[in-house]
Amino acid sequence: MEKPRLYETTFIVNASLDDTQVDAVIGRVQDVIVKNGGSASALNKWGRKRLAYSINKKTNGFYVNIEFTGPPPLLAALERSFQLDEMILRFLTIQLDQKALAARAKAAAAAAAPPPADPAPVQPREPLFKEPVPDRKS
Amino acid sequence: MPRKKRTCRFCDAKEVYIDYKDDKRLSRFVTEQGKIIPKRITGTCAKHQRQLVKAIKRARHLAMLPFVSDSIR
Repeated sequence: MEKPRLYETTFIVNASLDDTQVDAVIGRVQDVIVKNGGSASALNKWGRKRLAYSINKKTNGFYVNIEFTGPPPLLAALERSFQLDEMILRFLTIQLDQKALAARAKAAAAAAAPPPADPAPVQPREPLFKEPVPDRKS
Repeated sequence: MPRKKRTCRFCDAKEVYIDYKDDKRLSRFVTEQGKIIPKRITGTCAKHQRQLVKAIKRARHLAMLPFVSDSIR
């Protein structure tokens, strides 16, 4: 049995649908994930955004980002369902690696932590030379 | 005239990962036409430039950044 991996998928839903229909599309995607042995850990709706270029003659899209874990064969099933769904304009699935997670943890920590306090007071330093440095020329 | 030494912005900020979702940030590394700016201009180090290119291409796929800007078309 292969180890489940952490993935992240972002897809664009046709923005001409109303909110309940968009939720139905998202629900279908979540169904596919669950049925294939995965589990979604986070769902972010970025909402309607203007596309940088038209896709299928559409200029707006509803962006959804789902984070999930699952075995690798899940991806094939998921991508097939994306392709069959005509309301999904575009999708991108990536595997979250250690670096991505580290960066996210860092961003979360930066957001949670209060702004840095005053810099630590400078410690008075011991003089480098106790005795006056002898003159080299002599 | 000695040119000012450019440093990699990502190294300065100690970034380990460049996210494709951050399209505002990525858009600073493409020209008005939508082309990726070479690292010899921006001063990005090779390691981060590779990550940046990947992030920009992912963002383009999701229509967050243009392949070709509207003004050119």
